[in-house]
Amino acid sequence: MDYGIEDKEQETLVRLRGRLTFNDHAKLRALIREMLQNKAKRQVLDLSTLEFVDSAGIGMLLIAREEMANADKQLVLRSAAGQVKRVLTVAQLNKIVTIED
Amino acid sequence: MSFYGRAPRLEAGPEPEKPDLPDDDAPVHSLPEIGAKIPVTGELLATWMGYADIQRRTLEAVQNELTRTSSTVEDATLDLSHRFRELAEKAMQQSERVEQIVGMAGSVSIDGERVPMDQLVTGMQQMIADMISNIVTLSRHAMSMVYLLDDVQKDVAELEKSIGDIDAINRQTNFLALNATIEASRAGEAGRTFAVVAQEVRHLSRNTGALADRMRSKVTAVVKGVRNGHDILRQIADTDMSPQMLAKERVDKTMDSLVDQTNHFQAVLETAATVSSDMSATISRMVTGMQFQDLTKQRLEAINDSLAIMAEGLNELENRTRVEMPASLGPQVPQEWLDELLGRFKLSEMRQRFVRRLLLEGTALDEHGVLDVDAGQDDSSGGDIELF
Repeated sequence: MDYGIEDKEQETLVRLRGRLTFNDHAKLRALIREMLQNKAKRQVLDLSTLEFVDSAGIGMLLIAREEMANADKQLVLRSAAGQVKRVLTVAQLNKIVTIED
Repeated sequence: MSFYGRAPRLEAGPEPEKPDLPDDDAPVHSLPEIGAKIPVTGELLATWMGYADIQRRTLEAVQNELTRTSSTVEDATLDLSHRFRELAEKAMQQSERVEQIVGMAGSVSIDGERVPMDQLVTGMQQMIADMISNIVTLSRHAMSMVYLLDDVQKDVAELEKSIGDIDAINRQTNFLALNATIEASRAGEAGRTFAVVAQEVRHLSRNTGALADRMRSKVTAVVKGVRNGHDILRQIADTDMSPQMLAKERVDKTMDSLVDQTNHFQAVLETAATVSSDMSATISRMVTGMQFQDLTKQRLEAINDSLAIMAEGLNELENRTRVEMPASLGPQVPQEWLDELLGRFKLSEMRQRFVRRLLLEGTALDEHGVLDVDAGQDDSSGGDIELF
């Protein structure tokens, strides 16, 4: 997995690409730190080009949400598709994280 | 011949008025009185007697046929009623069985308790949702632990480095204490006290070195444990459970399909139960309808009684006429009439019975009882109707 960060007026947009698996845990931790340092309250993860997420990836997204909440920021998961969207739905992540189409 | 004594006895009554016959001796205008002798040709009388004989026999044969027919209808009706009742009972049993199935179809037995299918499906879906929720929570906790142990490993590496630092300091202290001891001995008596202090510092340094060694060995054990734990945890966290999570989609579809199918079966079975019940009711009405036979039997018995009275009356008249007839005159068989009568019977066995009754009765065959045996023959075996 790799990512690109784009600062906007109201939010920070992070575009995730490829596969988010356990192997990316160090990279995701670094991303979380970057997001925490960002000023915008709304931290949006654009998942439209993310092809796959495993259960560890779901765990990491939840950690990201918790870290953002602790820093009084909001995490938004946007435009999930394919396997990623199915897993998010089945895991009922919408009960915990804000999910946008 | 059955005769129940209800018929009027004809010999006591007045003689019926004889038809006006042409008579050369009597004037045309004077009518003969009842009881008066009138001339009748022997041929007319013989023909009349022949007709009377055949008529009486025909009446008897008709009575036999009526009795036989009534009995045939009765047997067949009883048999049909019996079979219909069996049919009705079976239809009812089937209806009950189907209703039982209908009652069972919408639910399954779990630990002796009937659970409705939709409730079961909802329960199972909830179970799987809980399971997935647990997987998500576990994944989250596992990743938190992975991050924690990442940090712990960094801290432990720092600790190992610190112990190395203590060793370096200790080596330097020991070296300083050694130098101090040498300098103290060079100073002689004046440095004696200082030599004791230097000796103590060396002691202290050795103890510190031993402590650092103990710490290193413990820290090494901790590092080993943490690394092992970290490896195991990585393996756990790296086990992808997303396929198991996605299995919920398949399970949900299967459950929905199962519910749909069960509902369909139930609807079909309910229709089948109604049809069976309707069948049973229809057959019961059919059995009731078979009671027409009772009425038919009573009517045929009444007709037979009338025929018996007619035959008895005919017999009386025949007997009376025979007394008046000259012995030389015998009854004349009305062949044409007989042929016409027998020609009407299309059923061969019925025709045979009539032939026997009309032509053979009173002959040697009759006296030997052959007619009775034939008349009693059962022809209701399956109702074979022979037409020609």
